[in-house]
Amino acid sequence: MTKSTKTILWVFFLIVALVQLFPLIWLVDFSFLSSNEFYSSSVLKWPSDPQWQNYINAWVDGKFLRYFINSAFVTSVTILLTVILSLTLGYAFTRMQWKLRPVFFTIILLGIMIPIHATLLPNFAIFKALGLTNSYLGLILPYTAVSVPLGTFILTGFMRSIPKAMEESAVVDGANIYRIVFQIIAPLTAPALVTVIVTTFLNCWNEFIMASTFLSKDALKTLPFSVMNFAGQYSSDYGSQFAVMVLTSIPAIVIYAIFNEQITKGVTAGAVKG
Amino acid sequence: MQKVFNNKMAIFLFVFPGILLFALTFLVPIVLSAYYSFRDTLSPGTPSAFIGFANYTELLFHDSRFWLALRNAVLLGLGFILIQHPIAIFFAIMLDRLGGKAEKWFRTIFFIPCVISVVVISKMWLSLLDPTFGAFNKMLDSLGLGFLKHAWLGDSSTALISMLFILIWAGFGWGLLFYYAGLKGIPDDMYEAASLDGASGFRLHWRITVPLLSPVITVQITLAMITALKQMETVFLTTNGGPGDSTQFLAVYLYNKAFSASQYGYANAISILFIIVCLLATYLSNKLTRSDATEF
Repeated sequence: MTKSTKTILWVFFLIVALVQLFPLIWLVDFSFLSSNEFYSSSVLKWPSDPQWQNYINAWVDGKFLRYFINSAFVTSVTILLTVILSLTLGYAFTRMQWKLRPVFFTIILLGIMIPIHATLLPNFAIFKALGLTNSYLGLILPYTAVSVPLGTFILTGFMRSIPKAMEESAVVDGANIYRIVFQIIAPLTAPALVTVIVTTFLNCWNEFIMASTFLSKDALKTLPFSVMNFAGQYSSDYGSQFAVMVLTSIPAIVIYAIFNEQITKGVTAGAVKG
Repeated sequence: MQKVFNNKMAIFLFVFPGILLFALTFLVPIVLSAYYSFRDTLSPGTPSAFIGFANYTELLFHDSRFWLALRNAVLLGLGFILIQHPIAIFFAIMLDRLGGKAEKWFRTIFFIPCVISVVVISKMWLSLLDPTFGAFNKMLDSLGLGFLKHAWLGDSSTALISMLFILIWAGFGWGLLFYYAGLKGIPDDMYEAASLDGASGFRLHWRITVPLLSPVITVQITLAMITALKQMETVFLTTNGGPGDSTQFLAVYLYNKAFSASQYGYANAISILFIIVCLLATYLSNKLTRSDATEF
């Protein structure tokens, strides 16, 4: 590629990136405005007097810290359970020899195709009867159940490409099956595991519909609720509403910035070649 | 080695927890849903009469909303396949050619909307497309296109297309990433051989890249249809199916039937049909696109 085509391409991408990020730029910009500035004719507006108060409202009335901790707890437990279950299931499906293997594999894969929304109504009834609504477990269980099928699928694809020689030499050295799975196979599947972790993180961290169906107790609510709660309370104060949206987005963006490289590597290794 | 792989205890410990969890949160609920779908229940747990297939006949033969929701899903899926995916492939190829640091940077930036919470995305676009202070109409004004100004999500003729636009914006990064990853799997010597044969530029990609990407493309098409069918949160939080059912989707419909209209039995019938439609769609698109495996 010549240097000039490269420059053209570069400029083109820059423009597209700006257009694509524009909604977020706008969101941040308007979160510093007072509500009466919203109706001016300009698309973006330099805040004449930045409204830091919007962010204070967002932090305090959005109950940001409480919800953030809830989200972090529910998401980490879900990720941990998903990784363990997908790893063991994946191993049992690719390496172990047992009769019902194809049946159970199909059942688990059904989970990728069945919409969670279709299980929402009966789960609500079941969870209510079991007293699981308004508990962390009421979110962790369905979140894990939703994440495991995809996790198992990604991991089985990846494990098939691992040569059996690794396990053979481990057996010779006297390792038992549990050591093989957790100390030899787990590190080898790391790129695929990252994909599983990241997709699970994004799905759970931002999940709203199950959370809003199963939770009504304020102390347990997750981060998306800070935006939802706010809309009613500050119905005409758009600046504060935008501030809470910005605050809610920051943790996911930070995590993404940190793991960005692994996400691409994971998708390349785990999902496409798998 | 055989002894290790035949370890019955290990198999049980590896499989049982996952299957149990899955059964409890997926299979048992579906059976329960089927049970409720044959009853005229108004809310879960209330006494109800067995009414046979009445909910289903009502849905299939007298409920135009059900069919409208299905039609919208098909239109949205086609929108993804015909608009989002070609753009994603084009950008993946261009990114791949750009190389260096810039490649990495732009790839990172394009994915950012994918990490934003659906609640934020919905509320943000609701504001962006707001007829009075929304940036979109202001932009049209400043471009001298003020006559196009519109209540984009509030008008039944533009609501579905606006929804498609929002969802493409939000999901573009994933599509791009998958095609990009697929591209990275194509060996360079394929291109070298083709350029020796005189192919270049657009022809090169049309003849080499697209066919070699076809396994990824077929999987992505299946995924696009499923994503369209399963659409819920963004719709629920922006238009809630309106105006006039123009953005109605099955998941939104069943949710509102159960929790707002107190027709729990009927909602469960929608659930069961919804599951059947999703399984059928996966089966059909796998069959039609003849994907070799159900690869992700």
